[in-house]
Amino acid sequence: MAQPAPLYIVASPRPRIGKTLVARLLLEFLSDNGRPLVGYDINPREPALAERFPKLVWPVDIGETRGQMELFDRLIAGTASTQLIDLGYGPFDQFFAVMREIGFVQEARRRGIEPTVLFVADPSGATVRCYAELQRGLAAIFVPVYNESVSLLFAKEDFPPSRAAHSVICIPRLSPLVRGVIDRPNFSFNAYMAKQSGGPTEVHQWIGNVYAEFRDFELRLLMSRLGSSLSGAPAPARKSKDRRAR
Amino acid sequence: MAKPTVVVVGADKGGVGKTTVARTLLDYFTAHHVPTRAFDTESPKGTLRRFHPDISEIVDATSVSDQMRIFDTLSITDASVTVIDVRAGLLSPTLRSLRDIGFLDAVKKGQLTLVIFHILGSSIASLNEIEETSSFAADARYFLVKNFINNTSFFEWDQATHASYFRKFKDAVEISIPKLNEMAFEQVELASVPFLTFVANKGLKGEAANYSFVLRGYVRHWLGNVWAEYDRVKLNEIVSSGGLATSGPRVQVVSRS
Repeated sequence: MAQPAPLYIVASPRPRIGKTLVARLLLEFLSDNGRPLVGYDINPREPALAERFPKLVWPVDIGETRGQMELFDRLIAGTASTQLIDLGYGPFDQFFAVMREIGFVQEARRRGIEPTVLFVADPSGATVRCYAELQRGLAAIFVPVYNESVSLLFAKEDFPPSRAAHSVICIPRLSPLVRGVIDRPNFSFNAYMAKQSGGPTEVHQWIGNVYAEFRDFELRLLMSRLGSSLSGAPAPARKSKDRRAR
Repeated sequence: MAKPTVVVVGADKGGVGKTTVARTLLDYFTAHHVPTRAFDTESPKGTLRRFHPDISEIVDATSVSDQMRIFDTLSITDASVTVIDVRAGLLSPTLRSLRDIGFLDAVKKGQLTLVIFHILGSSIASLNEIEETSSFAADARYFLVKNFINNTSFFEWDQATHASYFRKFKDAVEISIPKLNEMAFEQVELASVPFLTFVANKGLKGEAANYSFVLRGYVRHWLGNVWAEYDRVKLNEIVSSGGLATSGPRVQVVSRS
């Protein structure tokens, strides 16, 4: 069975809750998974991810039809790559409105692309409602991301993943020290992890924990995919038996 | 068998998207497997024919020989629906000549079904035209079409005036054609194919094309909304079981804001 091409959409309707940090971490985490990796930065005012990864991440403005074509036409053709979107809070509503209107998820699925929304959660009622509404209107996979630095409260029942097995991605709390290090303009998580001078530090530990969360998350996606393809398997077998009986 | 249906699409002035509406109708009938032919009266240019060349002919609706080509063939053609895209300003004259050749009588006797799509402009003059054309349309299914496709801000003038005009024509049913994304519209223009073909990412001869997925999505969504309007007024039933159309209850004027 061919693995579907992942399309991760890191999104939240609120600003300043660590979306771009999650996108950065995930982008570096995914950079050695064997598929070509492409990122899109939909933050017209401040494309921070695109500035950090100018060769890997394209800034896109979806305010105009032309920009929407630039984005969605490329996404739908990206059947051989891993794609990642950092979706700013400004274009949040429009992004999902266009996606619904043009029937993106259905066509992506048909082509073997698996859209997965990584929803960076926060405890406000508006965000909880937004998550529920979005999940109702869009057939994509939804996985909540709990950023411990944003709030200490996280009610799991407010952000149910599409399948219980997908669970939650948890980004552990950042100490001021770690934050100071990773906020440097040229900082690379992978480069930092590779260089061992001075032994494992708090920064190593933090990155290691995040990557472990991502690995678990990928594994859970894989398992649930296998699970559904296994549970789907007996159906055609039964059908062919019926045919033989006739 | 269903009795032949003639769908007249007309407007009092140009540039109100009349041909666009005719195109959505042809796509609608195609999708419902209703055999359809079309006449384009915009001789010699023929915009409708550019999009639907295999089922459209260009005619001059005011010439007697071309009238014969349209109406004398109604009973022998395989097409159960004939769509006539009437050139701007010729809606009333065309309906008048339909009366003169006895066509309206045949409609009255229930031998034929006549459907009129009157595309409205955004002026008072347009409402006066309703008065004129509707006098020919006593036995027809008469649809007033508000076309938002070219971003007309419709009837922003006095609501009372608007209402007073519409009250006169209780038999007329309103249809709203929603707006289509400009770039999507433009791309279909360039491609010169039916909307349905554009959505299917095909060229005019059925060859694979390479239109933008986003634009195709916009067109599909829009066409779905237009067809929902046609379904709402039961257009498919009108053309397929013509008998019910003239005797059945008339739909009340429904305005969609």
